[in-house]
Amino acid sequence: MITVEHSGCIVCAGCAAVCPFSAIELIGNRIKVYGEKCTDCGICVKVCPADVIEIYRNVKDVKDLPEEKRKKI
Amino acid sequence: MEREFDAIVIGAGPAGSTFARVFAQFGREVLLIDKRREIGTPVRCGEGLGEGEVVAQGLELPREVFSIEVEGAKIVGPNGKAIIWKDENTKGWILERKMFDKWLVEQAIKKGAKVQAFTRAIDLIKNDGKIVGVRVEKYGKEIYDIYAPLIISAEGMEAHIARKAGFNTVHNLYDVDTCYQYEMQPYDHENLIELYFGNNIAPRGYVWIFPKKDKKANVGIGIGGHLSNWEKRGKIKGAQPKLLLDKFIENNEKLKESNVLLEFGGVICVGAPLDKFVDDNFMVIGTAAKQVDPIHGGGIAMAMEAGLIAANVANKAFEKRDFSKSVLYEYEKIWRENTGKMVEKKLILRKVMENLSDDDLNHIFNVLTPSEIDKVMRGQFLEVVTKILVGRPQLVNLLNPLRMMQ
Repeated sequence: MITVEHSGCIVCAGCAAVCPFSAIELIGNRIKVYGEKCTDCGICVKVCPADVIEIYRNVKDVKDLPEEKRKKI
Repeated sequence: MEREFDAIVIGAGPAGSTFARVFAQFGREVLLIDKRREIGTPVRCGEGLGEGEVVAQGLELPREVFSIEVEGAKIVGPNGKAIIWKDENTKGWILERKMFDKWLVEQAIKKGAKVQAFTRAIDLIKNDGKIVGVRVEKYGKEIYDIYAPLIISAEGMEAHIARKAGFNTVHNLYDVDTCYQYEMQPYDHENLIELYFGNNIAPRGYVWIFPKKDKKANVGIGIGGHLSNWEKRGKIKGAQPKLLLDKFIENNEKLKESNVLLEFGGVICVGAPLDKFVDDNFMVIGTAAKQVDPIHGGGIAMAMEAGLIAANVANKAFEKRDFSKSVLYEYEKIWRENTGKMVEKKLILRKVMENLSDDDLNHIFNVLTPSEIDKVMRGQFLEVVTKILVGRPQLVNLLNPLRMMQ
């Protein structure tokens, strides 16, 4: 799945627009990632103008992320 | 908390609120929902709008919804050659987009539309395979159903509900521009928008400076989505929009001492419109239907236009009590026969432009006059292409698609 570094996110929701799997959505003023839908394709990483998205391959759930990343989700 | 309306519009941007305004004017009951807490925010746009569509719809912008009036554009080539394009038709505004969107919604309310912010459409409700309503989530918790025989997706780039209704609203990287923007102060301007082209400045895109009042300016960059984040893919270092924009500012005498007040950005579609805009009980309008100018990425005027056409067709559908796609298709037909033709031409122009080298661009900037730029933007290419080829015949293959189009 992907992680979004919210402190640097400019909430443009470009990632949500390009995600082919509807795994990203803008809710309120925050980007939400649905880990179970994410296929690690990486298109959001390429499109993010603020460069705040990272991919963690083969991770489907927030709790399987490295600890320092979990806090930022 | 179930309610029934004649139509539900998802998304209170320029497309959705225009639809709601026009449709409510016919005496129809329309609900306009928006997932944002505050309509108009966050702003994800350069905020430029030409006069044409606003005047055509008989609207008069109040002073508070725009920052300044602009007279035209200054278009600058890679070698710094500037062309000032300024005539009767290039007048426009730099909007206060947040105020503008709210104002458009207020016009819809005045005509009788119901509006609900902070209400997110989460799914379509179907009965026997037929779309009959929308499930919404209010204030991030309360979930309930709203029913209407007609659902309008004016969702913008994301278009998740349209996707659920079977429209191919997913964008590919090649057909989007990824944009980063600063609001800066001070910047002395000439009441012109400024556009800077060049493969080293903004690959497949441009840098813009949109002047605002109090010596402020929106300084932004848009580059091809497939070209961004090159560094990570082991290619040219620094081809990220933000880094390129910083470089541009550093090299600009007037901007390098200026201050950044706000950072924002967005991703915009510069590809072809959707292959269909309507289905039974469902219409897609504005950026959700990828109705965006492929050259400059502007979508406000087209969104308002689509909202107007769609609302008129929707009203006819109500008179007939027939919401099948064959009736709603009239909107798509009108759009494709007019604006659609122009978008098609500009799409080909975009694809030609992205293959031009800086030397080619410099040559073009040296020979083009403002009135020829006007022609190009109207889709009349032949004469201009011939002129360019006189000095640079090696472009013949590259520019051929433009000659073929006539």
